[in-house]
Amino acid sequence: MNATIETPVRPRKVATQGAIRIEDVVKIYDPDGAAVMAVDHCSIDIQAGEICMIVGPSGCGKTTLLNAIAGFHSITSGKIFLDDQLLCGPDRPMAAPGSDRVVVFQNGALFPWKSNLDNVAFGPMMARKMGKKEIYEKARGMMADAGLGGTENNFPGEVSSGLRRRVEIVRALMNDPKVLLFDEPYRALDSLTKSVMHEALLEIYYKNKVTIFFITHDLEEAIFLGHRLVIMTSRPCRPKKILEVDIPHPRDYSVLTSPRFRELMEETSAVVHEEAKKSFAAGEKEG
Amino acid sequence: MDQINALLRRAMPFQMVSDDMLRHIAELAKSSSYARGDMIYDWDDQADDIYIVASGGVQHLLKTAGEDNREKVMRSGDVFGWAAVLEGARRRLAKTVCLERTELIRINGQELMRLIRQSPAVGDVIMSRFATMITKEFSAPDSVAARVPHLDVATQPARAQGDGVGSGWALTSFRLSQWIKSPKPYLMVTGFAIMLGLWYLTVQVWRLPRFADMPGLTIVVQEMFSKNPVYGLSVYTPEYYKDIWFSVRRVAIAFALATALGVPLGLFLGWSKRFREYIFPVFETLRPIPVLAWVPLAILMFSGSETPVIFLTFLASFFATALNTMLGVESIDESYSRAAYCLGANKWQVFREVIVPGAMPYIFTGLQISVGVAWFSLVAGEMVSGEYGLGYVINTSYTMVRYPTIVIGMISLGAVGYLTSALVRLLGDYMMQWRVRELALGGR
Repeated sequence: MNATIETPVRPRKVATQGAIRIEDVVKIYDPDGAAVMAVDHCSIDIQAGEICMIVGPSGCGKTTLLNAIAGFHSITSGKIFLDDQLLCGPDRPMAAPGSDRVVVFQNGALFPWKSNLDNVAFGPMMARKMGKKEIYEKARGMMADAGLGGTENNFPGEVSSGLRRRVEIVRALMNDPKVLLFDEPYRALDSLTKSVMHEALLEIYYKNKVTIFFITHDLEEAIFLGHRLVIMTSRPCRPKKILEVDIPHPRDYSVLTSPRFRELMEETSAVVHEEAKKSFAAGEKEG
Repeated sequence: MDQINALLRRAMPFQMVSDDMLRHIAELAKSSSYARGDMIYDWDDQADDIYIVASGGVQHLLKTAGEDNREKVMRSGDVFGWAAVLEGARRRLAKTVCLERTELIRINGQELMRLIRQSPAVGDVIMSRFATMITKEFSAPDSVAARVPHLDVATQPARAQGDGVGSGWALTSFRLSQWIKSPKPYLMVTGFAIMLGLWYLTVQVWRLPRFADMPGLTIVVQEMFSKNPVYGLSVYTPEYYKDIWFSVRRVAIAFALATALGVPLGLFLGWSKRFREYIFPVFETLRPIPVLAWVPLAILMFSGSETPVIFLTFLASFFATALNTMLGVESIDESYSRAAYCLGANKWQVFREVIVPGAMPYIFTGLQISVGVAWFSLVAGEMVSGEYGLGYVINTSYTMVRYPTIVIGMISLGAVGYLTSALVRLLGDYMMQWRVRELALGGR
């Protein structure tokens, strides 16, 4: 055992893969002939290994963007690249879902009928590139690393929601993804659990080289976690303000009370509030 | 108390524990406060209590084999003093000093061990979390973690403290013992007493108009348990069991067929939109046709007296099973299949790993309904065609004016029907441990 005591942080591995380029993406929903624009000529460049926080009011269309990257939804026009490889574009409106881009879902999507360990082992078991024994060894090791030792044989329904989220992240990381896509995963958690989860997420991030695309409407969460904030306009969504968070990583919860954090909050909250008001006036649904 | 609960919930070893267990642990907790600079314990002190920081900060110096001691600052929610739960010499391995005004909760290690030994399944989880914490958070050598007691889960009763972790049959017997302790069985007995009492009073005591011709309670009971039944059927006659056996066998065959065909059909109906477009309208047209309307066709289609009855019984069951299975597939949260695709599963794997287990709760609801309607259409079938069987008994007893025998047939049907649906429920519990445990944790 040579893990450090004080800081959970090891020198970060630098990701060389996982850059996402969103180029002029438009998404128009056309359910009953009445075209609704969800994403409006949106371009974002995300570097490999970056934590990019997409901040916007509820229902602004940011989940649409995530679904397009993940391969759940088509786009109307524009292009999305992962490491210069076209995910979706003019000839291919819908990306194929794959284990290089794993989503952590808003309400959690651990399979309740599988034990935590079976959940974590799911991806590699489907790919069948490793032997079963090897997969389960890796799964146990990764769970222990994330402080989930002792919960392997529980079903997800038996552990707290905070632990469930952690299991879900470990399940995603088992596939060595280039990108983790977070769809407001901590929305339903109480603020105390949330703060624990944020630190745990950073700790996991420091140990793995992944790009994080994180959707949220919680500004505090966004500044605490992100290298960069992309504040979106209310529907149709497009970047309104991009902000570098110049608080150095590794971060812990003391950051929240630092003066720089306060300054950044002040700098951004007016912008976010304005968009939230617009969205409220337009009567957008949650989600 | 709530504060202690909330604090324990955040403490790493107890994050996994059910609320019930947590309350028991909280009952052991005592709080104490310290001023800045107070030493809580020194190296090699007797280790009695484990501590959880409520507020403030504590410097924790862990003695190591090397020259440098490992320093760690404990904050709210952190657990230290775990030497109190280790096996072997219970001596402090660290020195702890308060850095500021500090509130602590302490729990006697031996009392804690006694408590969790009562529910070894949960206790073992707590202990392995302790072990993880000791190595990960405190970077203590593995030899220390190895001294964390290991509880033997297999040899002890799995559910002593309502701990929410139990195997299938243990859970069932636990529920049974809880049921006997609850007022429910007595209410049930009262319910039966009221029904039987009304029967007795209306037919034999008050002799209400139109009730007077009905077989009375005492007459039916006498007939049912008579060694020499007046009308030839009682629990002592072999014919009685032959009738039950015929009915049970028909239901079993029909139910098995309906399940074998209905579940796959329902799964595909729910899973493939295209398949549903073809099949569902036909399905929905056939479904509302009552079983009795099928009787003539059934007799024309199948020879003999056995197959038409089985066919009729099968029909109703099949529709119930297929429909519920389809609803089950539709009820699965889309994020489960999306997650599976994300994790690299192909379409067939999603079907096998997500659709089938995800629909399982609905499938079993469907099977319970299906076994009920199987009985119900069985009797319809047996009344029209067939030899032997409880429905046949009821029908022939009517034409031959053996009224008490009708009621014996009815009571037997009720009892056997109840048993079969209880069996299906039991099988469902056994196959869906995840759901049973989830519901048990929810206090249901």
